[in-house]
Order: sequence, then structure tokens, then C-alpha cells
Amino acid sequence: MERLDTISSLQYFVPEIVLVFTLMAVLVCDLVSKNRAPRERRLLIVIPSLIGLVVALSYSLQGSEAVSAGLFHNMVAFDGFGQMLRVIFIVTSIFVLLFTLHSNELRLVHHGELLVLLLTVTVALIWMANSINLLMIYLALETVSVASYVMVGYLKTDRLSNEASLKYILFGAVSTGTMLFGLSLLYGLTGSLDLFEIRSALSSQEVVASSGPALMVILVLVLAGIGFKMATVPFHFWCPDVYTGAPTPVTAFLSVGPKVAGFAVLIRFFYGGLASPSEDGASWAMVGSVDWQTMLMGISVITMTLGNVGALLQTNMKRLLAYSSIAHAGYIMMGAVVLSGEGIQAMLAYMIIYLFMNLGAFLVVIVVHNDVGSFDIKDYAGIWRRAPLLTIGMGILLFSLMGIPPFAGFLAKWYIFSVVIDAGLGWFAVIGGLNSAIGAFYYLKILKTMFIDGSDTPEPSTPLALQPLYAGLLLVLIVPNIIGLLLWGYLDRVTEFSQKLLDAM
Amino acid sequence: MIEYVGVLMFLAAGALLAAAATTVSGLVAPHNPTREKLMPYECGENPVGSPWGVQFNIRFYVFVLVFLIFDVEAVMLVPWAVVLKELGTPALIAGFIFIGMLVLGLADVWRKGDLEWVREEERAALKTAPKNAKAA
Repeated sequence: MERLDTISSLQYFVPEIVLVFTLMAVLVCDLVSKNRAPRERRLLIVIPSLIGLVVALSYSLQGSEAVSAGLFHNMVAFDGFGQMLRVIFIVTSIFVLLFTLHSNELRLVHHGELLVLLLTVTVALIWMANSINLLMIYLALETVSVASYVMVGYLKTDRLSNEASLKYILFGAVSTGTMLFGLSLLYGLTGSLDLFEIRSALSSQEVVASSGPALMVILVLVLAGIGFKMATVPFHFWCPDVYTGAPTPVTAFLSVGPKVAGFAVLIRFFYGGLASPSEDGASWAMVGSVDWQTMLMGISVITMTLGNVGALLQTNMKRLLAYSSIAHAGYIMMGAVVLSGEGIQAMLAYMIIYLFMNLGAFLVVIVVHNDVGSFDIKDYAGIWRRAPLLTIGMGILLFSLMGIPPFAGFLAKWYIFSVVIDAGLGWFAVIGGLNSAIGAFYYLKILKTMFIDGSDTPEPSTPLALQPLYAGLLLVLIVPNIIGLLLWGYLDRVTEFSQKLLDAM
Repeated sequence: MIEYVGVLMFLAAGALLAAAATTVSGLVAPHNPTREKLMPYECGENPVGSPWGVQFNIRFYVFVLVFLIFDVEAVMLVPWAVVLKELGTPALIAGFIFIGMLVLGLADVWRKGDLEWVREEERAALKTAPKNAKAA
């Protein structure tokens, strides 16, 4: 591993720099165009943001597989894993940016700050996923949190949005504060903020012998902060309320961006600081006196079970999807606990597919809300007669979320379960499978409402209003779910090189 | 653990002293409450309403944030200026990028009209109804 100084780090930092300058440019555009007509003004801020994101995306797609380096004196990692995540975050932002354009909820508010905040969160997510220093992890996590608090409360006159924002702030403040306390204890125990130095400190027999309970406390405290971002039990309480109150495009963003970044931090923290890689770098062995693998397995099992059971009772579409995203966090975590490169790869593949199916489902929610004006599942009755294609699309997305073959969601689940079974944790995969069965029930309930309910009413059906932009986006989001099988070879290749974590060899 | 006994003793002594001071003053001091003495202190003004539900103009908050721009600027730029000669040109460029970002924050507040206590829209409203001038 190379350890680069500030100036030579910049060459690996181009997408982030592009994004930072984009967000400044968007802010300037927003200020300059203050007196123009709203429509014109919106174009003036949306176009630069889109250009910036696309440029950043094209830079981050030119991955260099051979290089792995610790940028800025080992503050930020540059490796295959981080490059993959960078692409995921930027793609998510592009989708969410386009989601905001015709959303009815955001129709009456000015979008300037929202876009600036979206770009800020995107940069911060990339930092968060690549930090290998305790301070940097905390700083990036706070940047993501603070900007998302404002995004959640963006509808100033909507009480639900305000309530969601306040809950998010209170929960976030407690969680990140708890995490900071844990990090400070970890610093006290090992004398370093650098994750790799922490690992070597924890490897010494002397520290291991004396640090048993202390390390346990540290891990629980740190998991509070990471778990808050991943929305895993027991730090999931904010999730349903915040998802319901936030404007739906923001909800879609929260359900993918920060969650994925949370898992990245989990991998960086535990694999970097609390496990040492084998010779070939394909598997890890735990370091220190705490069996954190079992701890994470417990969290994963509880998270997916609680998420799925909680979703059964929901009547609000956004709340249901919130619980479903909690359950998916549990599945993703299965890949994080097996301590192998394959586990990381399965996790990344799952997150990529999750991006498409979940954003797609939220887009359908936005489209239906634009026309019907409601998030209640019972108001989805009879959509089949009004918009057959949309219903079929939603069906595909929901089958994918359920994990029914041949859709991509099934492949993702199958991949993660097989990795878990390979690691000799058959019972874990069985629990995952049982949970998918519970999950199928509430996804099917939505489909039943859309297809069957309200189909016997005599009143004539008007076609559902669907903006061309949203129709195109839906197509882009749904197609990968159908042809997942064909894309699998590509996905396998892409994620394979990204399982290489930066390491202090 | 034995080296931390000093900390414990320090804590105990501190708590004891504080407790002793309040107890003694409670026992010795004359006790003669009047209505004026029990009122919340408000710079000689007669307090209006309950101290729990203070009506506080939210715009002060914006000013705090604006202050923060200058505060951060000063905190970061003083050490930057001290070592600038040793760090050379890259640090100079980085410093100006930093200042540029902070200025952008100030420009945002300025352009959005948050620096003025009476905003443009309100000023227009005041002109049409001059009698309400005190309301702002």
C-alpha cells in the first residue's frame, strides 16, 4: 500500500473534487438566477448539477484496478471497493435528482438548496465509504447526517416533514454521540486513530489480555452510530417515521445512499481495524478478544425478522417500504459477517441490485402519489385498470424485492445465501430464506391491492398520469431487474475486483 | 487502577466542598423572599409572560450561522498564516479555495436577504401601510 501526501492524493480524488465544485457552481447559479421565472431558474440549477454528476461518474468509471493507496496521509482509502461504491452513490444521486423534477410534493418549493444538499451528501457518502481513520469516519458520517436532516425537513410547511426531521436529528445526535464516545475509548485503548495501527495494537497479546470488556463496550457503542446509518435493529426506530415524513425522492435517497455507506463503514471498520487478512487477501481472521462475527450475525437475524414482521402490519406504502428496507439491511449484513472476499462481493452485488429495485419501487410511489395524492395502500386499489404497464412494472420490482426467480433480486439473495452456506453457516441461510417467505406476504398484498381490489367498480377508469421522464426512468430501473441473469457475468466481473480492500500489507 | 484513586478523591472533595457551601449558606443566610426577588431576571425590565415559553425571533439563529462563517475563517486562517511560508504555494492556493467557499456561504445569505432585519418583501408592505412600521 502506498501512503500518499496531500498533493499526490489529488489525482485519485477527481470525482470528489468535481462534485465539490459542482455544488459550489450550483449554489452560485441559484443565487444569480434569483429573479428569473421559476421554471427557467430550475433548469439553470438542474442542468449544472446533472452535468457535474455525469462528469464525476465518468471519472469514477475509469477505475484503476492495480492501484490501492491511502490518500491524504491514510485518511481516505483508494481501492477497488471504494471505487465501486463511488459509482453506486453517484448513480443513486442522478436518479434521485431526476426524481425530484416532477414530484408533486416538491412542486411548490424551490429546489436550489435541495440539489446543493443532495450533492453535498453524495460527496460525503463517498468520503464516508472510504474513510480509514476514526476522525474521518466520524466527520463524514456527521456531514451525511446533517445534510440529510435538512433534506428530510425540506417541506417547511408540512408538519409530518418537520416531525420526521426532528426525530431524525434527535436520533442521529444520540447515535453519533454514542459512536464518538466509543471511538474515543478505542483511541484510548490503542493510542491511534488509524484503523490499521489500531489493528496492530489490538493484535498484541498484552492488549488482548487486558481489553476484553473494554473492547466489547467500544464495539457496542460504535455499532450504535453505524447501525443508525444502516437502519439495523435496535437503531431502526427513526426509519419508518422519517421515511414517511420526508419528501418521497428524499426517502428514496435515504433508503439507498446512507444505508450503503453505513455498510461500507461497517466493512472498513471491522475488516480494517478488527480483523487481519490472510496471505492471499481472500479471507479475514478476527483480531482482539471480542467475537464480533457472532454479534453481527445476531443483529442481522433480528434486523431481518423484525423488518419483515413489522412490514406485515403497515397500511402506508412508504412505511411498508421503510420496514422492507430494514429487512433488506439484514440480508445485506449476511454478506458482511462471513469474513471473506466473496462475502464482500456478494454484498456489493446485492447493494447494486437493491439500488435498482428499491429506487424503482419508490418511483412508482411518487408516480401514484402524483396522480392519486395518497400513500395509503388501499388507495392503490384499481391501479391495474388505470395503468396496466405501471402495475406490471411494479409487479416486477416487487417480485425482485421478494426474491422470486428469474428476477435480479432472487440472484442477489441466492448469491448471498450461497456465500453464507460456503462459510459453514447453513442455519443462517435458512433463517434468511424463512424471512424471504414472510417478506413475500406483504409484497404480494400490495400486488393484490393493485391488481384485484377495486376492479369490480362500474365507474369508468381514466388513465393514470405518467410523466414521460418518469416513464423512461422506470424503464431504466426495471429492465436490470428482468435481465439480471444476463447481466450476471458482468456484475460478477465488476464486483470481483472491488472485493479488494485496501490493506496495510 | 490504583493511580486513579487521586481522581476519585478529587471528585469526592469537589462534591463535598460544593455541598458544604450550599448547605452552610442555606443555613446562615437571611431568608426574606419578596415578589420582586423571585421574578426571573431580565436586565431591569419587567418580565412578560412565562420564562419557559420565550418568544425568540428565529432570525437570530441565522445571524449565529453567519457569525460562524467568520468564526471558522478566523480559527482556520490564523494558523494557516503562521506556517504559510514553510508550506509554500499549494497551501496558499488551498487557503484561497477555503476562503472562497466561506465567502460563498456569506454570498448566499446576503443574496437571500437574510442579512437585513426588515426584508425587501416586508419593506414593500411597510410602504403601503406606514402605520405598522413598529411591527417589524
